[in-house]
Amino acid sequence: MGAADAPQTRVYVTRTLTLTASLLAAGLGFIVFLQFGASDGFDAFDVLRAVLIFASTFWLAWGAFTALAGLTTRPPAVPRDAGPIRAMTAVLVPVYNEDPVATFARIAAMDASLRATGFGERFHFAILSDTRNDEVAARERIWFLRLLADTHGEGRMFYRRRTSNKGRKAGNIEDFIKRAGAAYKYAIILDADSLMEGATMVEMVRRMEAAPDLGLLQTLPTIIRAKSRFGRTMQFAGSFYSPIFARGLAMMQGRTGPFWGHNAIVRMHAFAESCALPELSGKPPFGGHILSHDYVEAALLARAGWTVRVDDDLTGSYEEAPENIIDHAKRDRRWCQGNLQHSRLLLAPGLKAWSRFVFLQGILAYIAPGFWLAFLAASIAAPLFAPPIDYFPIEYWPFPVIPVSQVSKALGLAVGIGGLLFLPKMLILLDAALRGRTRRFGGTIRALQSTLTELLFSSITAPIFLMFQTRSVLQVLRGADGGWPAQTRGDGTLSFGDAWAASHWIVTTGGVVLVMAQWLSPQLVPWLLPVALPMALAPVIIAWSSRASTSALFTVETELAAAPVMLLADRTLTRWQDFEADATAA
Amino acid sequence: MMDLAKPEQFDLDRLAEELGALPDAPLAMPVQQLESRPVTGGLLSLLRPRFGRMGKAGH
Repeated sequence: MGAADAPQTRVYVTRTLTLTASLLAAGLGFIVFLQFGASDGFDAFDVLRAVLIFASTFWLAWGAFTALAGLTTRPPAVPRDAGPIRAMTAVLVPVYNEDPVATFARIAAMDASLRATGFGERFHFAILSDTRNDEVAARERIWFLRLLADTHGEGRMFYRRRTSNKGRKAGNIEDFIKRAGAAYKYAIILDADSLMEGATMVEMVRRMEAAPDLGLLQTLPTIIRAKSRFGRTMQFAGSFYSPIFARGLAMMQGRTGPFWGHNAIVRMHAFAESCALPELSGKPPFGGHILSHDYVEAALLARAGWTVRVDDDLTGSYEEAPENIIDHAKRDRRWCQGNLQHSRLLLAPGLKAWSRFVFLQGILAYIAPGFWLAFLAASIAAPLFAPPIDYFPIEYWPFPVIPVSQVSKALGLAVGIGGLLFLPKMLILLDAALRGRTRRFGGTIRALQSTLTELLFSSITAPIFLMFQTRSVLQVLRGADGGWPAQTRGDGTLSFGDAWAASHWIVTTGGVVLVMAQWLSPQLVPWLLPVALPMALAPVIIAWSSRASTSALFTVETELAAAPVMLLADRTLTRWQDFEADATAA
Repeated sequence: MMDLAKPEQFDLDRLAEELGALPDAPLAMPVQQLESRPVTGGLLSLLRPRFGRMGKAGH
């Protein structure tokens, strides 16, 4: 076996172990539930519920074992090169009805950060506007001129607005490449809310230069600037757990890594040759433009023989995230449609097996909550179909046979499933404490408190997300197109009225679940409370979690000390906002 | 020096277009094939119901 084969062998071993362990956990769940369900007589509902437990447990186990895989390794050593870079790189910033002041302030900060590295001249910024709102577009033009004036960016900074936003974000990037792609060897693709240190961008170019077969290098963006309770919880989870999950995923992906649509660098000619997306036949949601284009572009690069890699050790890559559950659910609705649309591409010609599996995983991510819901519904309805208990199963035997209680099996199953949810996060905490990583999260005690609170919060919000995801899946299946709504950024505080308007149907569903359970299977009610209560309290939870957080819990590194590029962006933004306020007053 | 507090003094569209123009360096992007037409057209067409076109038997 050659040296080059070793990493690929490790990839296959990790895939096989993770898949086997997940199947074993799911199989165990299936058997234990079957024994429990058959205790009062065996019927088709028991089999159905056991199959649903199998599917749900497999999905949970897959996530858990991915994290465990991530804990077994450290980021690969990447050769450092401190020499000059000669290649030209375009930093692409697609915008769509965003606030230009905040977006362009981030660009000014990244430009300053790049110039501080001494390689500023090797990077050009292109603002690719797909903005439909003319007023926002007019502000974009004004602030572009201000950006040019402040950064002396003429000839290095470009702005173009498309008259038609065909192909959405993927079409926007494609339009740039068709017009100007040959001027650059690499393109760093950002989102409007992305922020990156100049040194990180330089390092990304160096890693591309060092690996001529590398078509795309994805960073793991860290969530920053979260202010609300929900936002800060997600920010903590993203910063604390995600690197480990990402590393586990990277171990399984090998050369067929992910593209998450932004905070990544691509080799221009590889991307141009491989990634022009066709419009799928038929109407949306399954036809038309490919919504979750990033997964498909990663698969196409891999199909063309390029390596796609995620380097979780690359720091200085940031993004912002929704501040409340409703904005999160809106974004999730778009992702849901995009992922389910991938069902059209599962058999696309020439794709690597792992790319197909990634599509399948993306689909499962949205369908799996439906398994839980179906399991709950089947459990509530099961008594209607259960055969009466036969106390005299043995012919001519005069004494009744009392069925042995199998509650311990149900408890064991619940503990096992809980373990799959909680154990990986607790192990990540242990790993972080042993390696000193908890220092970046306010110390080990604070990280422990944050982890436990996050586990509680994610358990409470899980039924609410389950409902939103299931509704999204049903909407897509009945052919409803979610469109392309602009992302809400900034303060996302919701009143109780807003929360009620968005979630009253969840309250109703929670109430119906409890009433039905009380009527059909009263013994199930205590088991259902952890699911039904958060549903009944959904508006309260949504409104409460959207409020500003002042807690010391969920402390993350960028709250303890803002990154240099964040400070640069803050300074520019404050200056520009003052200028805009003065101009408006005048 | 531009006075950006008075944007009406300028034709901002023209200025932004001129100063922001992308480099003229086209690069071809051939559209990729993702839908396996022979399979969907061939195998799946066998499964597609054609009740509307069924010939009537008998009368």
